[in-house]
Amino acid sequence: MEFTTQLLYPVDQVLLAVMIFSIMFGMGASLTIDDFKTVIRYPRGILIGFLSQFGLMPFFAYGLAIFFELPPAYAIALILIGCLPGGTTSNMFAYFARGSVALSIAMTTASTILALLMMPILLEFYTAEFTRQISAEMQTAGSGAEFVIPTMNIIMSLVLVLVPVAMGMFLRAKSRVWAKTAEDTAGFMGIIVIIYLIGTAFVRHSGLMLQTPPAIYISAISVGLLGFLFGYWMSRLFKLSPIFQRAISLETGIQNGPIAFAIILLSFAEPVQSQMLWLAILYSTFIVMSSSFITLYYRRVGKFDFEVYKNTSIHNRLFGDEYVSDYPDGFLPKRIENDPSQGLIPAQKRD
Amino acid sequence: MNNRITAKNMADLYREAANRYKSLPAFATRKKELEWDPVSFEELYERGLNLATGLIEMGVEAREHVGLFGDNRFEWILADYGVQLCGAVDVPRGRDITDSELIYIINHARIKVAFVETKALLDKFIELRHDLPGLKEIILLDPEASAPDLVHKLDNVIQLGAALRKHGDTRAEERIAGIQPDDLFTLIYTSGTTGKPKGVMLTHANMMSQVKVIPIDLNCTDRVLSILPIWHIFERVFEVFSIACGVCTYYSNVRHLADDLKNVEPTFMGSAPRLWESLYQKILKKVDKSHWMRQFLFHTAYFLSRQYMNSIYFLTGKELKQEPASKLKRIVLSPFHAVRWLLVLPVYGFFNVAVLEPVRLSAGGSLKATISGGGALPEEIDRFFNYIGIPVLEGYGMTETSPVIAVRLQDNIVIGTVGPPMENTELRIVDLETREVIYPNSNRPHKGRGVRGEICVKGPQVMKGYYREPDQTKKTIEAGWLRTGDLGMITFNDCLKILGRSKATIVLSSGENLEPEPIEMKLNQSPYIEHCMIVGQDRKYISALVVPNLEGFRDNGISAGNLEELAKKSEAKRIIQQEIKQVISVSGGFKRFEMIQDVRLIPENFTVGEELTNLFKMKRHVIQDKYGDLIDEMYNGKPVGVA
Repeated sequence: MEFTTQLLYPVDQVLLAVMIFSIMFGMGASLTIDDFKTVIRYPRGILIGFLSQFGLMPFFAYGLAIFFELPPAYAIALILIGCLPGGTTSNMFAYFARGSVALSIAMTTASTILALLMMPILLEFYTAEFTRQISAEMQTAGSGAEFVIPTMNIIMSLVLVLVPVAMGMFLRAKSRVWAKTAEDTAGFMGIIVIIYLIGTAFVRHSGLMLQTPPAIYISAISVGLLGFLFGYWMSRLFKLSPIFQRAISLETGIQNGPIAFAIILLSFAEPVQSQMLWLAILYSTFIVMSSSFITLYYRRVGKFDFEVYKNTSIHNRLFGDEYVSDYPDGFLPKRIENDPSQGLIPAQKRD
Repeated sequence: MNNRITAKNMADLYREAANRYKSLPAFATRKKELEWDPVSFEELYERGLNLATGLIEMGVEAREHVGLFGDNRFEWILADYGVQLCGAVDVPRGRDITDSELIYIINHARIKVAFVETKALLDKFIELRHDLPGLKEIILLDPEASAPDLVHKLDNVIQLGAALRKHGDTRAEERIAGIQPDDLFTLIYTSGTTGKPKGVMLTHANMMSQVKVIPIDLNCTDRVLSILPIWHIFERVFEVFSIACGVCTYYSNVRHLADDLKNVEPTFMGSAPRLWESLYQKILKKVDKSHWMRQFLFHTAYFLSRQYMNSIYFLTGKELKQEPASKLKRIVLSPFHAVRWLLVLPVYGFFNVAVLEPVRLSAGGSLKATISGGGALPEEIDRFFNYIGIPVLEGYGMTETSPVIAVRLQDNIVIGTVGPPMENTELRIVDLETREVIYPNSNRPHKGRGVRGEICVKGPQVMKGYYREPDQTKKTIEAGWLRTGDLGMITFNDCLKILGRSKATIVLSSGENLEPEPIEMKLNQSPYIEHCMIVGQDRKYISALVVPNLEGFRDNGISAGNLEELAKKSEAKRIIQQEIKQVISVSGGFKRFEMIQDVRLIPENFTVGEELTNLFKMKRHVIQDKYGDLIDEMYNGKPVGVA
């Protein structure tokens, strides 16, 4: 399939830049030094999160690309999405899914910084085959150029994206009230711009939607769903408590879409850019829907263990750290029987 | 229902709770903001048994009336445990009791032993001791206060019982075994229409029936914040219900409420309309003060939520139906509502999450539901909380029905009503004049739905009667049907809607009851006042509608051709206000909440057949309807809606 028109008009690109800036600024405005300290407080959760984010996700993306024999540009975009750090919206989804918000924030923080190191390595590793394909296509088309992953540019775009985050953090350190307003405003603007972009993209390119082969839709949707599924089971395998399982699951599946846009716009050129952008748009659209459904599902299944956790932690908040909550026999499900606080309050642990 | 304890009587319930919930906290007392003292179910029961044994040793008989004077605190519930576990009956009342009420209640209930909460209240008892010849023993609840000679300290009575039980005293257990379902567990004095308090006799069976059918599911992971006075049956039923469900009750008060909501994060609360009013105002004030961007976000969110919820209410048939529903209208409108619902859903989803959740957090954030009772919740406020996602279940009841008669269900919220009657409860709507049964009546269209009349109730929660007032009891309970004195109707989706009172009693939004007649009588003595009516049902304070006396003003140098002219004179209003201030004062024997805050002059006289009956008694609901605008004006007129 060919992109006959430009996917994004210049005005859209400006809007996209504004959106990326405001979302990343908002992310910074919500962060404090304490969030970095929590990273150290949950080493196990962070480590397992790290494994599923940078181990599982790129692998799934690669596997899907191979399985569906995606055109190389789409394959690269999918892998790029697989290698991204966690998105800021995952924190909000974790909250409503009754997962650990602290872990979610800590994971987002850690992965955003680690991405500087991990993304170039992973991209290099998984995309080698697809870059060769593109180069070959370009050779036959007679352009004579060779396609390479612009690693340096990607690192530069990542750094550039981290600048508004730092600015947001600076604002937060100066004034809490302003930071809170900035955070909300940024979130609101982000939503408006993304709705506008998706809306116009779909209206302008409704033909494109029909042309897009099902395999691309399926891959764009599945990469997130696989992340949710395996993030959940991997943390369950390692015997993390339910509230951590839900946080890691959402964190794994939800990637930082705005960073993908920034990297594609700043580091890639046509003929691959439009195709890559299209996949990123599809991913961003569907991930909002699938995470909403997953969140509603988690919210329901996690209701009871979250209420136990909440009640237990309030006991400790009000009655002192040493207080032990003893629920009647058979009241608690097996998974949290030995620690109703689910790993958050040492006094509650008994065996 | 699910896992709540059902028992034969209160003592049984307390024992079962100790067996099942053991070391879980039953009650918690605030020491500092983040320092609370828990007492477990086991410990409470153990101390209760000791206290019961101590009381028996002091001579308290089974079924004896024991006074319990004080407000919410852990020692109150401990005293209640003691009284229930020795098969006696408590007679509760708050610290704000007046001297005359105190004397009346203690003598009328023939109280020999009384718990008294504080030193200040104790001093009052000592001062009045010559009027309380029957009162033999006083036990002081406050552990900090020092007790003078002849007054027992609570701890000492518990220790006395503990020592006896150590040596094999099982009298308390024997007493428990002897409790019959028809025995009283409490005797609550309410101020009646005659001015004399009436003792409402509630039995163990009354209370157990309520615990069994309250349509809310709570378990050991829930938290209840207690702020209403415990000696009101409304708060009490929730505390007993909490014990049955293994829920910890946290004692808060108005001063610390905002902090406690944040720290305890209650999942359930019994509350009065006043609380929601003040919370509502606080939320709006906070929104008004915030950044314009946030204000915009909030109003957008509220708007969307209103659209969304109203469509849901329509589609599920939960809107207020005071008239028979037109099928055609329903069929025509349903697709529109369905489309609106679908369109709003995604945007509402975002705003609900991003904007309304923080607002809910200011109300604690974990509230699953709350029951508002003790007065009518203004509809705007009711809607506001349901729109922003805090389900406020409005209930209806009275002390005489221990207390819940009807309550909105969580999955069946019809705003503007108090929901369907409770399980096992029968309702009738009866014509005020002819006593004809309006609902259920198969001879009437729609079985009598949508027609107003007096609400009558029959069910396991109806009291045994008024203590030592057989005449009053006979007047109130006719052939098993309790006359509530409230006007209501059954809506077309089978919920009860309250439409005011047939009795004159005014209940303020703070829950205070007052009789307007004595105040009106006093005011009618003034030469300036021809007629006057006190209003203030469900408001914060009372006000008066006054028909000025033309002659009275003329005699004092203010002449006017007719009432209309006189009513317009600001001087006339000023004089009446002065007059009221002089006559209705604290030093004149009136209570603080009986002070009249505002006044409106009515420009025409009341006439027989219109505002007055043949016996010159005021038809209150007629006057209220006719001068509704004037009344609203006194309470700022403007409805309290958002935007």
